[in-house]
Amino acid sequence: MTFTRGFTAEVRKGLLNVVAGWREVLVNLITFPVFYLLIVLFMGRGQLRAELLLPALLGMMALTFIHEQVNRMFWGYLGDIQSGVLEQTYLTPLPSSALILGRQVAAAIAALPTALAVLATGAVVIHAQGGRVPFDARVIVPLAAIVVGTCGLALVLCGLTLVFKRIEIITQLSVAVYAIVGGTLVPLAAMPDAVAAVSRLAVPIAPGVEAMRDILIGGHTLTDLPSGWGLGWLLIQPLLILTAGSIAFNRLEHLAKRRGTLGRP
Amino acid sequence: MIEINALTKVYATAGLPAVDNLSLHVPAGSVIGFLGPNGAGKTTTIKMMAGLLTPTSGQVRLGGFDVTRQRPAAMTRIGAVLEGSRNVYWSLSAWQNLMYFGRLKGMRRARIKDRARDLLTELGLWERRDDKVGGFSRGMQQKVAIAAALIADPPIVLLDEPTLGLDVEATRTIKRWIAELAGELGTTVLITTHQLGVVEEVCDRVAVIRQGRLVADLPTRELLAGSRERDRYEIRVEGAAPPGFDGVTRDGVTTITLRVDAPGEVYDLVERLRAHGVVLQSLTQVRPDLEDVFLALIQEPAHA
Repeated sequence: MTFTRGFTAEVRKGLLNVVAGWREVLVNLITFPVFYLLIVLFMGRGQLRAELLLPALLGMMALTFIHEQVNRMFWGYLGDIQSGVLEQTYLTPLPSSALILGRQVAAAIAALPTALAVLATGAVVIHAQGGRVPFDARVIVPLAAIVVGTCGLALVLCGLTLVFKRIEIITQLSVAVYAIVGGTLVPLAAMPDAVAAVSRLAVPIAPGVEAMRDILIGGHTLTDLPSGWGLGWLLIQPLLILTAGSIAFNRLEHLAKRRGTLGRP
Repeated sequence: MIEINALTKVYATAGLPAVDNLSLHVPAGSVIGFLGPNGAGKTTTIKMMAGLLTPTSGQVRLGGFDVTRQRPAAMTRIGAVLEGSRNVYWSLSAWQNLMYFGRLKGMRRARIKDRARDLLTELGLWERRDDKVGGFSRGMQQKVAIAAALIADPPIVLLDEPTLGLDVEATRTIKRWIAELAGELGTTVLITTHQLGVVEEVCDRVAVIRQGRLVADLPTRELLAGSRERDRYEIRVEGAAPPGFDGVTRDGVTTITLRVDAPGEVYDLVERLRAHGVVLQSLTQVRPDLEDVFLALIQEPAHA
């Protein structure tokens, strides 16, 4: 019961913080769709080419989600450490997993509007060009894989910031790396084999983006995914990243308690 | 009840222990002032008590529960306001903060509402309960932090500089609360502050820490009484200070302040002054206050 109360309180608090920071949300709702259109224009050498709109849309949605989720999670956590509020959340009978889970869910929910704004923009432009955005319920599986894998990454980054200062640069760099080699804008199939392999192995959104394209653009089923390493890896990779993130966070949390870095200016 | 047994903390980056073999027992319902100069190890001790910092060795028990091994049970017994931090979310309102922290403590919504209403009314924040804490003055933010620490009626409360930044009225409210918590509810309160007047007023016991070691742990009255042999005397004489005496002369009257180790030495002083032919205006015994005792304790040479 206590776990549930703590979890729901954390989700509620996270969403209240999103409402409190509505200006930032509004800016993101505008800038990310604009960024998507600029990317497609860049890739199409100044034209919104129909064959680029949908693949880029799927990649950009995933990129927007990981950017929003990880950044909200990370910066919120860092802010709580620096302001000392995080220590107060440890003065409760709750395991920290309840709170971190609540933070993850709130961050994921908060990331959705911006990702949906990108989707809506893409849908309007594609529709204006006479096309349509396909939908297949099976796409929920790669979407879930993206969410779970992203949560694992956020756990690693939050754990690191409990112990080490100036992790901000790693957070920014990691999201930038995913934009470049995560298969979001350029499919992994078009990259060198080694880069594609590392990306499928370690980038939380890479298998999900590949599977989304296979299902929605290629019309394939989940058991017949031609790109990447198949359904098995699509399911296992995010779980592995989440497990690694949970272990890393737990270890780093213990280290933070030994070093006294749970709260610091 | 707080039990601290042989608590030691050595940070890997520092050679000396921040807290060194500290033992302290605080009975239920008592208010203890935990004093020490900056860097003495007070905050390190409090963070170990709150389970925020893992001790190198030793043990802390809150209400009989080991903070490290029985953390969930120990945490239901504690509320704390930590020094130098916000303690509450500035982006949320006072009401939202109390609801949030109440839920984290495992309280039911209806109980939190009742308790939050009482606390905010008592602290004069009821009318502004829906305003964001970030827009409050420093004192009001501190009040919200204290209310959040007390939301679940914990039997043990740690207050690290609770009156910092508070105005006279709010400080008085906090002092009254502390007295009521201990006297009526049997709450154990540990308070650190540099406002020694607050400690003298509300604490029935004082512990002093220096360089990580406990140098005094006595009832407040006993601590003050034990320093009587170091009483000060203020002597006012007409004209300048006689040879062998230092004083401050103003409007033709010199004030000489002396410490004596035994009351009998006062007669010798008066005889010496008479021998110099000075006219004695007054002789007043200045009882040491907690500030004098504290300064004496932290200035004594460290024991090996």
